[in-house]
Amino acid sequence: MKTVKFFSIVFMVLTVGIFSCSKDKTTTPTAPLVTKTVSDLVADTIIGFAASGQPFGAGKYTFFSLENNAIVPSSDSATNKWDIAFRGTSIITNSGNSGPAQGGGFVFTGLFDDLKTIPADSAFKTDNAPASYAITSGSNKGWYIYNAPVNLITPIPGRVLVIRTATGKYAKVEILNYYKGGVTPAATATDEEKLKKQRYFTFRFLFQPDGTKVF
Amino acid sequence: MRLPLLNILLLISFAVNAQQASTDSLFNRNLEEVVVTATRSERKLSNVAVPVTLIQQKTIRQSGSLRLPDILAEQTGLFITQSFGKGVQMQGLSPDYTLILVDGEPLIGRTGGVLDLSRITVGNIRKIEIVKGPSSSLYGSEALAGVINIITDRSNARKLQADLRYGRFNTLDASLNGSTRMGKLSLGAFVNSNSSEGYSLRPNAVQKTVEPFWRLTTQVNIGYDFSERTHFNLTTRYNYEDIQNSITVQNLGTQVLSKGKENNRDLNITPTFSHRFNNQIKTTFRGYITQYNSKQSLEVKDQLIGYNDQFKQEFYRIENQTDIAFSDDHNLNAGGGYIREFVQSNRYDSLQTKRSNQVGYFFLQDEWRPLKNLSLIGGLRFDANSAYASVWSPKLAVQYRVTEKLRINASVGRGFKAPDFRQLYLNFTNIAAGSYSVFGSLVAKDEVLRLQAAGQIDNILPVFEKLTDLNPETSTGLNIGAQYDPSKKIKTRINFFRNDISNLILTDVIAYKTNGGQIFSYLNISRAFTQGLEAEASWQFNTSFNLSGGYQFLMTADKDILDAIAAGEMYKRDEQSGISSLLTRQEYAGLPGRSKHMINLKLFYENPSQQWFATARAIYRSRWGTSDIDGNGVINRDDEFADGYMQLNVSGGRNFARGIRIMAGVDNLLNYTDPENMPGMPGYNWYVSMSFDFGKFKQTRKQ
Repeated sequence: MKTVKFFSIVFMVLTVGIFSCSKDKTTTPTAPLVTKTVSDLVADTIIGFAASGQPFGAGKYTFFSLENNAIVPSSDSATNKWDIAFRGTSIITNSGNSGPAQGGGFVFTGLFDDLKTIPADSAFKTDNAPASYAITSGSNKGWYIYNAPVNLITPIPGRVLVIRTATGKYAKVEILNYYKGGVTPAATATDEEKLKKQRYFTFRFLFQPDGTKVF
Repeated sequence: MRLPLLNILLLISFAVNAQQASTDSLFNRNLEEVVVTATRSERKLSNVAVPVTLIQQKTIRQSGSLRLPDILAEQTGLFITQSFGKGVQMQGLSPDYTLILVDGEPLIGRTGGVLDLSRITVGNIRKIEIVKGPSSSLYGSEALAGVINIITDRSNARKLQADLRYGRFNTLDASLNGSTRMGKLSLGAFVNSNSSEGYSLRPNAVQKTVEPFWRLTTQVNIGYDFSERTHFNLTTRYNYEDIQNSITVQNLGTQVLSKGKENNRDLNITPTFSHRFNNQIKTTFRGYITQYNSKQSLEVKDQLIGYNDQFKQEFYRIENQTDIAFSDDHNLNAGGGYIREFVQSNRYDSLQTKRSNQVGYFFLQDEWRPLKNLSLIGGLRFDANSAYASVWSPKLAVQYRVTEKLRINASVGRGFKAPDFRQLYLNFTNIAAGSYSVFGSLVAKDEVLRLQAAGQIDNILPVFEKLTDLNPETSTGLNIGAQYDPSKKIKTRINFFRNDISNLILTDVIAYKTNGGQIFSYLNISRAFTQGLEAEASWQFNTSFNLSGGYQFLMTADKDILDAIAAGEMYKRDEQSGISSLLTRQEYAGLPGRSKHMINLKLFYENPSQQWFATARAIYRSRWGTSDIDGNGVINRDDEFADGYMQLNVSGGRNFARGIRIMAGVDNLLNYTDPENMPGMPGYNWYVSMSFDFGKFKQTRKQ
């Protein structure tokens, strides 16, 4: 019984191998998709403190093109040149009332590498600031959690930002860190250090240029 | 409050009255060890079928303990937690789930679920009984993990004893304890003052780690024997606590120094009347009147911010317990009672609103020995309530004596903790920090609907619909163990335990305000377990040396987290790369604040003439989870733990003639500190003390 099972597995593996080999020969070769990592993307770092003691930045978003893996100048904020933008913990998409394009996105629960195909029934959302965003804002609601006792912001593990780009293509993004150099300050670090080093995004992403939802 | 003054006056009268020497020395050895807490009736320790630890006064004295947490910290399987005062973790369960009794009556006044055990002085404790495992079948609410019963010295021998101790951080502790007997009337009184200037573990911080405090405890017992069979006793205990707080408050971006004050008062009055009809039947009526008053205020100079919080709790109980001995092998305990409880606080609505609850209960316990070496105990209690669902709490225990040296015990029981007033009625909105609100489960619906009508609610979550009846938190606990005493000098004990807890009450977001603030309430949403193994051994080497040790192995988990791990829905984040991956069962470290290993090792020495004594006690605790850092809400990464540590305490002393005793010691000799996770541990802590026994003084003079 066991040997029969073994042989059938060997047979299956062989046939699949032969089948995929022949398939490779017939399709035109495409460049393999490469996951890219962006480090220390500055997202409206803190420049002062309000009378209430609340820290504030200049209030400006940093725009980013996933298609070109490059920061887009803010003068191009009203164009289709950018896909997502960062300001503090807020992440916007080029959609709804955030930008002119038909982008959007949602927060997927699962692992970056396991997300091979965006599920067909996924609901892409668009921005409707300030009421709602495609990438849900707020602690423990979207991509991050704020740990009040130690005053630190941490990306929630197992969250993937699925993005529909400005040109209607798809990408997946994982936020890796919110602090400078990709290192979260120690819980015992001073509040000053925690505030000085925050709002620096490190993230990795995979952009699918062929317009499909398959990575 | 006039009471303390009265007590002091009483003590002075004892000084005059103490003519006769006391016959009960502190140092009587090998007394028959009898416990009352496990079965609510006197039983020999070796006959009890559930895990019981007994701490005698002598051990407490020689260990140089001042407050209850000092001596509990040295017991196997107990850990002293440090949030909202000092609480005790037993069988891996939080302090909320251990019932604290003084002479069989529950102490009230918990903050955040924790009863600050520092409120209790050990100065007049005769013994401490610790019963592990669910005991709600006898004691009702809060007895999930177990019961700690502090039995005070109510002896009616003529004596008067004074104690004075001074130590690091200007800690001063003074006690006077006296008792006398006049025919059928016996009187006892105790007063203790305990103060310290506190300490700072962070030299540059304005705020001290422990602020200066002063505590006063007084207790008076009056006993009257109507006859051999009929006794009356009245105990009054009063506790006062005053804590200074210097806090720096962030205001308009600048640091403002502010003066805070905390004041806690605690009064207990216990009248007891007992009558023995005959050799078979005894009945006891107990009354209990207790109040807890807490005031916390913060004043910031020239500012309107700050607070003035008040909390007042009243608890009144009447109870009867009747013990019937059908035969030597068959005993029945039956009882019932009624509780009326009130709470007023400006954090629940207003100070004028009195919230109340009523509980009626009865319990039955049958102890039967069908065979000479087999005893069975069955117990059942019913608690009916006005504020939440009623509860049945059964318990079954078996003891089998395999030989004179080996006994096997097993017990299974249910425990519960009733929702407290905070969980039912809290009405708190923090305007400063994000404008969040916390509403008790009974007021949350009305409050949210009221805010909605005022247009302040953005979004109500589905969980809001579940807000109605908060059920008591319940547990089922299993204890299986054995005691093996190979000789009179060597005693060993082992116990396996497992507690399955359901309906755990946690806060959860029920709605969002239009300004982004979250609204929380209390819901029965969590399930957990704790399990482990406890082993103890003691070796009386000769008349002088006693070596003992204990070990607890503990495993805990949130069952919902385990389900999520099994379903592949729990993730973790790598510290270096930041990349997420699946969390495995092995990586999940269970509930925070629990150490997997706890070890104690104690050596007690006393010279044969009992003049000199010395002790050395080491306590080890392995690392424990503190807070989540990688964002998944659970403890799994190495940087989410506090370091394990060892604490070494030593003491020694000498008894002189005329009842004088001098003692000195150092707690935490290795000077271990961890300001972040162990703020209540001040580094090494030395002390010297002196006691004086007036009775012995006169006795020696007469000779």
